[in-house]
Amino acid sequence: MNKLDCRNMACPTPVITVKKALEQHGEIQVRLDDGAPLENVTRFVKNRGFNVREEQLDNSWLLTITPADTPLPTGTGQNPDDTVLMITSDCLGNGPEELGLLLMKNLIFTLLESRELPSRMMFLNSGVKLTTEGSDVLEALNKLTGMGVEVLSCGLCLDYFGIKDKLVAGGTTNMLTTVETIISKARVIRL
Amino acid sequence: MVQEGQLLAVFNSAHRVMKAESVLKAKSLPVLLIPAPRALSTDCGLALRYDDDTSESVMQVLTEEKLLPAIICRRITGGKYEIVWNEDGSIP
Repeated sequence: MNKLDCRNMACPTPVITVKKALEQHGEIQVRLDDGAPLENVTRFVKNRGFNVREEQLDNSWLLTITPADTPLPTGTGQNPDDTVLMITSDCLGNGPEELGLLLMKNLIFTLLESRELPSRMMFLNSGVKLTTEGSDVLEALNKLTGMGVEVLSCGLCLDYFGIKDKLVAGGTTNMLTTVETIISKARVIRL
Repeated sequence: MVQEGQLLAVFNSAHRVMKAESVLKAKSLPVLLIPAPRALSTDCGLALRYDDDTSESVMQVLTEEKLLPAIICRRITGGKYEIVWNEDGSIP
C-alpha cells in the first residue's frame, strides 16, 4: 500500500496530495496532523465513497484509505449527503449586474462558514471568471479546496473567454464529467 | 477570510460599501469586499477587509470621498473583534 507523509503541510496541500495519490494507487496510508488537515482529508475521501480507518499516533494520525467494500450504486441517490454546486454565471440571480456579482461573491465567502459543504463546485459559462486571475474569490475557493471541496472549471468555457492560462483555483473539466455529475450526484444545485 | 490583525470597515449601506470598494480599488489599494462576520453584521452585512499597513491610505481616501464606514474593527485572538474606530469618534 502506498504510504504518504502529509504532516507539516499547509492547507490545501494535504487534500491535493491525497487526491493525486488515490488517483494513482486506489488505496493509501497517510500521516496527517491533527485539526484541519485531518478533518479536511477525512471529509474529502468520505465524500468520494472511500472507507477510512483512523489511528491516533503520538502527535498525528494515520489514515488508511481504501475503496468502499460495496461500490456505491450509480444513478440517483449515490450518496444522500453528496451535493454539487453548479455555478453557471459569475452573477447570482437576475437583476443589476453589479448586485449579481456581489451576491455571488458573498455566497462563496459565506460557504466557508457553512457546517455542510458541497463535495464539488463546477463553474461553467461566465462562472469560470470566478476561478481565474483577477477574481475576488480565489482565496475563498482555495480555502474550500483545502476543506475537501473539489473545484472544477469548464475547459471549453475557459477557452471561449480566452482565459485558459489564467486558471488559479481548482482544475479543468469537460462536458462528460458535467453530464456524469448531473446524472449521478444526489443533489445538483444550479446557481 | 479575516486573519488576526486585519481590519474590517463595516458599512451600514450596500451602496456606500460598493462605492467605497470601487474608489479604493481605483487607487490600487488592496481591499476585499466580504460579508461582515456574524458578530458585526449590519443591515447589509458587508465589510471591506484590509491590512493594517494600508489603514492610513484607506482612511484618507474614505474621508476625502465622504464614504467613512459605521465602524472599523480589528480581528484579535480567539476569533474576536475589537472596535478601533467609529463614526461618532467614540471608541467603546
